[in-house]
Amino acid sequence: MKSEKSQREKTFSPGALTRLEEIKKKYPDKRAALMPALYIAQDEFGWLRPEALKAVAQYLELPEMTVRSTATFYSIYKHEQAGRNMVRLCTNVSCMVLGASTLKGTLKTLYGLAPGGTSPDGRFQLEIGECIGACDRGPAMLVNDDLHTELDTKKLIQVLESYK
Amino acid sequence: MINISINGKKIGLEGPATVLEAARRHGIDIPTLCNHPALELWGGCRMCVVEIEKMPRLQTSCTVMAADGMTVYTETPRVVAARKSVLEFLLINHPLQCPTCDKAGVCKLQDLTVKYGAVAGRFEEGKRTFPESVDDPLIVRNMERCIMCTRCVRMCDNVQGAFAIGVVNKGTRSHVEPFSGGRYNCEYCGNCLNVCPVGAIMSRLHRYTYRPWQMDKTVKTICSFCGVGCTQLLEVRSGAIQKVSPVFGEGVNKGLLCGRGIFGYGYVGSPERLKTPLIRKNGVLEPAEWDEALALAERKMLEIKNLHGGRAIAGVAGGRCTNEENYVFQKLLRAGFGSNNIDSVARLGLMHAQNLLEDIFGQGAAANLISGIPRSDAVITVACDPTQTNPVMGLQVRAAARAGKKVLTVGHAHGLRRHRTHSLPAHIGTEGMALAGLLSELLKIKKLPGENPEFEAAIKNFELPRLEEVETYTGVSAAMLSGAASALKDVSSSSIIAGRELAAHRDARRNLMLLAAIGYILNSRFFLISEHPNEQGLIDMGCAPDTLPGARPIALQTFRERYEEAWGVKLDPEPGLSLMEMFEQAGDTVRAMYIMGENPAFNLPGRKMVKSALGKLDFLVVQDIFMSETAAMADVVFPSLAWSEKEGTYTNLEKRIQKLEKAIEKNPEKKVFLMEDWQILMEIGKRAGLNMPYTASSDIIDELARLSPLHAGLGYGDLAETGMMWPYKGKPLRMGGRIPALPVSRAEAPSKEQALAPVLVLDKPLFHSGTLSRHAGPLLDIMAEAEAKLSPETGSVLEVTDGAMISISTAEGEMALKVKFEKGLPVGAIFAGNNFGEAGALGLFGYELEPESKTPILRFANLEIKLETGKL
Amino acid sequence: MTRYLIPDACIRDIGEYEKTGGYQGLEKALSMEPGQVVEEVKKSGLRGRGGAGFPTGMKWMFAAGDPKFPKYIVCNADEGEPGTFKDKALLKNNPHILIEGMAIAAHALKAETGYVYLRAEYPKEKEILEAALAQAHEKGFLGENIMGSGARLDIQVHRGAGAYICGEETALIDSLEGKRGQPRLKPPFPVNAGLWGKPTVVNNVETFANLPFIMRAGAQEYMKIGAPDCPGNKLFSVSGHVEKPGVYELPMGITLKDIIYDHAGGIKNGKALKAVIPGGVSAPVLPPDKIDCPMDFVSVQKWGSMLGSGGVIVFDEDTCMVQVAHRALQFFEHESCGKCTPCREGTGWLRAILERLETRQGREGDIRLLEDVSRNIAGNTFCPLGDGAAMVVLGFLKHFKEEFSEHIENGCPYGRTGKRPDRPAPVQ
Ligand SMILES: Cc1cc2nc3c(=O)[nH]c(=O)nc-3n(C[C@H](O)[C@H](O)[C@H](O)COP(=O)(O)O)c2cc1C
Ligand code: SF4
Ligand code: SF4
Ligand code: SF4
Ligand code: FES
Ligand code: FES
Repeated sequence: MKSEKSQREKTFSPGALTRLEEIKKKYPDKRAALMPALYIAQDEFGWLRPEALKAVAQYLELPEMTVRSTATFYSIYKHEQAGRNMVRLCTNVSCMVLGASTLKGTLKTLYGLAPGGTSPDGRFQLEIGECIGACDRGPAMLVNDDLHTELDTKKLIQVLESYK
Repeated sequence: MINISINGKKIGLEGPATVLEAARRHGIDIPTLCNHPALELWGGCRMCVVEIEKMPRLQTSCTVMAADGMTVYTETPRVVAARKSVLEFLLINHPLQCPTCDKAGVCKLQDLTVKYGAVAGRFEEGKRTFPESVDDPLIVRNMERCIMCTRCVRMCDNVQGAFAIGVVNKGTRSHVEPFSGGRYNCEYCGNCLNVCPVGAIMSRLHRYTYRPWQMDKTVKTICSFCGVGCTQLLEVRSGAIQKVSPVFGEGVNKGLLCGRGIFGYGYVGSPERLKTPLIRKNGVLEPAEWDEALALAERKMLEIKNLHGGRAIAGVAGGRCTNEENYVFQKLLRAGFGSNNIDSVARLGLMHAQNLLEDIFGQGAAANLISGIPRSDAVITVACDPTQTNPVMGLQVRAAARAGKKVLTVGHAHGLRRHRTHSLPAHIGTEGMALAGLLSELLKIKKLPGENPEFEAAIKNFELPRLEEVETYTGVSAAMLSGAASALKDVSSSSIIAGRELAAHRDARRNLMLLAAIGYILNSRFFLISEHPNEQGLIDMGCAPDTLPGARPIALQTFRERYEEAWGVKLDPEPGLSLMEMFEQAGDTVRAMYIMGENPAFNLPGRKMVKSALGKLDFLVVQDIFMSETAAMADVVFPSLAWSEKEGTYTNLEKRIQKLEKAIEKNPEKKVFLMEDWQILMEIGKRAGLNMPYTASSDIIDELARLSPLHAGLGYGDLAETGMMWPYKGKPLRMGGRIPALPVSRAEAPSKEQALAPVLVLDKPLFHSGTLSRHAGPLLDIMAEAEAKLSPETGSVLEVTDGAMISISTAEGEMALKVKFEKGLPVGAIFAGNNFGEAGALGLFGYELEPESKTPILRFANLEIKLETGKL
Repeated sequence: MTRYLIPDACIRDIGEYEKTGGYQGLEKALSMEPGQVVEEVKKSGLRGRGGAGFPTGMKWMFAAGDPKFPKYIVCNADEGEPGTFKDKALLKNNPHILIEGMAIAAHALKAETGYVYLRAEYPKEKEILEAALAQAHEKGFLGENIMGSGARLDIQVHRGAGAYICGEETALIDSLEGKRGQPRLKPPFPVNAGLWGKPTVVNNVETFANLPFIMRAGAQEYMKIGAPDCPGNKLFSVSGHVEKPGVYELPMGITLKDIIYDHAGGIKNGKALKAVIPGGVSAPVLPPDKIDCPMDFVSVQKWGSMLGSGGVIVFDEDTCMVQVAHRALQFFEHESCGKCTPCREGTGWLRAILERLETRQGREGDIRLLEDVSRNIAGNTFCPLGDGAAMVVLGFLKHFKEEFSEHIENGCPYGRTGKRPDRPAPVQ
C-alpha cells in the first residue's frame, strides 16, 4: 500500500544534495543559495519543470512561488523542455555588424531551428542571445558551455556537427 | 521640526515623512499607483513625480523623504507632462475594456486618465494579450489589465505572509500568477484584490453582477466569523450583499480581512435559511405562525418550570449572537424561567483560561490591543495557530516577524512556520509541559521584575520538571528550550497568544499558571484565542451558570440584588449547570432546553450522548438561521437573523465592544417577516410576565449600562468609530492576587508506543468556521469536503497516500475522510475539522470534564485508521 | 607606457604571478592600517571602472565609516554591456590580480567575505577564477590569517543567470541574495545597507585590478598615469569594423582616434569610419568628427556620450544606423527588468517603431514619435538602464536623422531586405 506517487516523486540525487549542502555554506542566508540550486535542479530534472522548482523550494525552505518568481526572472535557466544542446547565438550589435544575421538564417534552413525553438530531432535548442563578451571575435555563440567565435556559415556547420 | 513648502504652502512636519505623506496630510493630492500606505515602498509606477527645487530630475514623491528647506511643486507643466506620459505608457498594453470591466468606477487608472486627459493612442502595435484566467473558483485574473504595480504581490508576501502569488518573467513579459499558473493555492484572504488599483485581479463572486455606482448602500459593520472583530464594508443592492471589503486603515483589522470575512458572506442569502417559525406536529416540524410558536414556547417552558422547578430548564446562548441578544437570553432564563443553567461555547476553554489569568493578574488580564502585538519585542504562541483561528490577529504575529521581532511557537502552529524564529514543537497536548521547561530555563537567565512579590514568591516555589523529563513528555529537547529562553532573555515586552486547549486540559490550572509566570517575567500582554465573534460577550453578558452580566458571581448577594431589584424577581443564588452537565442530566433533572444560535448536536464532543440527551428532553426550543442538526430535533424552531441583518454589539477578544449595523432589511415587503433574536426572546419573556420594555437593541444596552458595573454609562453613541475598549467607562476590578501553589501535573510520561501512536487532532481550518460556512458557497469552492490533514511522514507510517479515502473510527464513532498531505504537520497527528455534515470530527471525540471548571477535555479511545477500499 | 593590468602572456599560475610582483600590493596593504589604505586609494583618484566612474576611495570611506558589521565586498563581474569584454580578458589572463585587489579592499574595509558575481556566460572564466582562488588559499593569501596578518577573507564565486540588469549594483545585490534582480530604492545605499542589510562595497573587476598597482607604486605614481581627473590605465574593448579588435590597456584620456587607428589597426578593409559607440551599447553614438574625444569619464560626457564600460564599437561606412539602433533597443526591451513604467513600456515601444522603420513600414511622424517617447523615458526611470535606452535613440537621431528619414521614405539605403531582424527569445 506504499505510496506509489511518493516513490515516483523525484527529488535530488545524493550527489546533488552534497553539492547543495556545500553551496549553502557559502552564504549566511539560505535564500542566497537559490540561484545555484536552480542550476543544480535543472541538471537533475532536465529543465526547471514544476517539480524541480518544488524540490528547490522544499530544500531551501522557501515558498514555491518565491522560487518560481525568481527563476523566471533569469533567462539562462531552461524554463522549458529543451533540446539536448543549447545554442546561444549572439546577434548583438558587434556580432550583428559582422554577419550574425545570416547565421540565423543558416540555422533555420539547415537545422530547422527558429529562435526559441528546438530542432525537430531534439538535438539543438536555439536562443538568440545578447552579447556574450566575445565581440572582438564575433560572430560568436555558446553551445552549452563552449564558446565558438569568428563564425561563418562553414564554421557554424562544422561546430554544430561536433555536437550530437 | 522639518519645514518644507509644497506648492507655496508652508508645512511643518513633526517626524520623518515622505513628500507624498506630507502633502496628503495637508490636503494636497498627488496621484499614485504603486504606492500603498500598508505596503513597502516601491517607486516603480512613476505616477507620483513632483518637481523639487535644486533637484534636476523629477522625483517620486512616494519615496523621497521630506528634508528641511525643501521646495516642492506637485502640478507644474513638467510634472503634468510626465504623468501624462506615464499614463500613455500604461495604456500601451492596457485594454480599454472599461465598459465591461467590474472595476470601472473605482479604477485608479481610469480616474487618472480622466484627470490628465485621455492620450491619443499613439501606440499602434498590438497590445500584449493574455487570456483571462478563470481557473480559480474565487479569483479571476486578467493580466492584460495589470499595470505591474506589484501591490498584490507585496501584500501577499509582506503583509499576508502567504507568498502565494508572484511576478513571473522579466520586463514587458512579466505578469502576476500563483505557482500553478492557474488555480490559487493560498489563504484566500482577498487582500490582493483589495489593493489592486485596476481590474486585473478581482473576486468572481460579484463578477458582472453590478457596477460600483449602482449600489443601494454601503454599510460598515463587524465581521461575524471570529473573535478578532474586523471592520468590513458591505455593499448592498436589491436586498443582497454584493461584495464585502475591508476599509483601509480602519478597525481592528486596519484594512485586512481573511477568507471567511471577505468571501464567506454568502450564507446570508442562502435559500436554506429558515423563513418561518416551525412547530413539531405529529413528529414533523411544520411552518407555523409567529404567535402560535411564541405562545407555545412560553406555555411549555412555564409548564415545565411549574412542574419541575426552574432548574429543570437549561439554555445555551450563542457565540454569534450579539451582546444584546445574549443579555436578554440569560435574563429570560434567569428571571423568566428561574434557571441558572445557562452556558455557552465559552465553556470550551476561553472562560476558564480567562478566569485563571484574572485570578492572578486581575480582571481584564487578557484585554489587550491586537495592534500592540507587532510592537512587542517577542511574540509567543502557545497551543494555537492564530493564523487559522483568528487570522487577522495571526497577521499581526507575522508583522512582528517581519519587523524583526522574535516569534516563538509552542506547540503546533503551521501558519507561522515561515515566520517563527524559534519553535518548541511539543507533541499536541503537551504544550504546558514545554512551558514548564521554558520557564525553568528562563528563571536561570532572567531576573524576576519585582513588581508582584506575592506571585514571585509563588514562582520561586514552583516545582519544575527536569529538562530530560520535559523532553520525554513533549519531544522538545533541552537545547531547543535553552535556545528559546536565551532568545527571550533581553526582551522588554512581549505578547502571548494562547489557545483554549491549554485550559481544556487535565492540567489547566498548572498550564495557565506557567503561562502567567512566563508572561510575568517577559512583561507580556495576553491574548486568548476566541473562535466565535462574541465569545467574550457571552462571558461578559453573564451567559454562564455562575455569573451575572458584568461577569461577576451570582452568589455575591449585593450584586445579585441589583439585578433582582431591576428585574423585579428573586434570583436563584446557586450556580447552575455547566454546558456538558446540562446534557448529561437531560431527561433526568433537566427537562427542557432553549438553544440560541448554537448547534450542540454537532459542535460538542460526545456527540452520541448529546444527541440522545436532546432526544430525552420534554421540550426543546431552538433559534437558528439554518435547520441545524439541533434544530432538527426541536419542538419549536424560531428563524434568526444573520449578522448583517441586525443591530447590536459584539465584544471581541480584546474586550472591545463594537457595533454591528444593519445592512439588509430582511422583510422589506413583509413577505418574510423575521424578528430579531432579542425580539423573539422578549416576546416570550413578556408573555411570561417579564419586564422587557425594549423597542430597539439600544434599549437593552441602556439597561445593561445601568446594571453592570463593567458597562456603566455605556451607550451606542460611544461606539461610533473604533468601538470601545475595556474597561469602557468603568474601572476594572482588581481582584488578582489569589495565587495558589502550582498543581502537580496529572500527565503521565508517555510510553514509547504511546509517544509514537497516531493522535487525532481537532482542526480549525482557515476557510471554515463552525458549520455556518458550509452554507457559504465560495468557501466550499476552496475547501469542499472534510479532510484528514497529515504530513507525508505520517502518511507513510499509516501507509496511506495523498487523496486516499480513509475511515477513522474511535469508541465514539466512525467517519470516512479524504487524506490531504500537508508538509510540516507534526508526525503522527491527524487533523480533522468539524465543519461538514457527516464528517464532523467532533463525532470521533469523547470528553472528560476538567473538575474545576467543567471544561470538556477532548478524548478519543480505540483509534483505528483503515483505508477505505474501492474508494481510491 | 606602463601596463599593469593585463600582462603580455596570460598568467594563471600563482608562482608566475608572484614573480611579476604579484601579491606585493597586498603585502604592502597589510602592513598599513585599514584606514590608511582607504586614504591611499582616495588619494590615488581611482574611479570605478564599472561605468559610472564613481571615486572608489570615497565609496570605501562611506562603507568603512558605517558601524555595522560584518561588511561585504562584492566584485561586479557581470559584464553584460554589449561590446564589452575586458573583465573577461582580465579574468582569463590575470585572475590573481582580481584576488589580490579584493584582498586589499577586504583589509581596508575589515570585510571577511567577498563575492564575485560572475556572469553566466563566462563558465570557462569561472573555472579559471576558482582555480586561482584555490591557489591563493593554499598560499595563504586567502583564508585565515592572511600572510600572518591575522586578517581573514573568503571569496565565493556566484554565477549569474543571464540578466543584464544584475550588473547594476543594487540589482546585483538582490540577485546575490537569491531574489529577482531588480534595482533597489536608494537610499539606503549599499555602502550602508547592501548585502543582507550590511555595509557592502561593490566594485568592478577592473577597479579591483587597479589596486595592487596603487598599493605597490603608491598613489603618487598612480596619478601620473592617465588623465588628470581620471588617473590610471583603462581597458578598452574594441570591436566592430576594425582590423585588430581586442582588449587594449591604455592610459585614460587617450583619444578615440588613437585607439581606433593606432592600436586597433584602423577600419577593416580600408573602409571609412561612419560612427563609433565609445562606451558599450548604452552609450550614445558619436560621428567621425568626434573621434578626437579623449577617453575618460569627464571628457566623453562633454563630447556628448559616456565612457561607460569602455566598449568601443566601430562602424564602417556600410553600416545601417537604423539596424544598429533597432538591435540596441531589442536589447533594452529584453533586458528591462520591468520595475518602472517608462522603461518597461517605453523600450518596447521604441523597439516597435524602429522595427517599422526596419521593415519598411515607417511613416511620417515616426521620428518625432521616437524623439517624444525617448524624452518621456529619459529622466523618469528608476535606474539608468531606461534612461540609457532613451539616450541611445536620441543619440542616433542627433547624428543620423537623415538616415532614419530615408528609411521611412525609400527604405534602407544599404539595400537590406527589410525582413524582421533577430529578436531574443522571450522567457516563457
Ligand atoms: C544597467 C546597468 C548595468 C550595469 N552593468 C554593470 C556591469 O556589468 N559591470 C559593472 O562592473 N558595473 C555595471 N554597472 C555599474 C554598477 O551599478 C556599479 O556602479 C559598479 O559595479 C560599481 O563599481 P565601480 O565603482 O568599480 O565601477 C551597471 C549599471 C547599470 C545602471
Ligand atoms: S488571496 Fe491572499 S493569500 Fe491568496 S494570493 Fe491574494 S493576498 Fe495572497
Ligand atoms: S494585478 Fe493589480 S495589484 Fe497586482 S501588479 Fe497588477 S495591477 Fe498591480
Ligand atoms: S529603468 Fe526601470 S524597468 Fe528599466 S531596468 Fe531600471 S528599474 Fe528596471
Ligand atoms: S556582441 Fe556578440 S559577443 Fe558581444
Ligand atoms: S506611486 Fe510613487 S512611484 Fe508609484
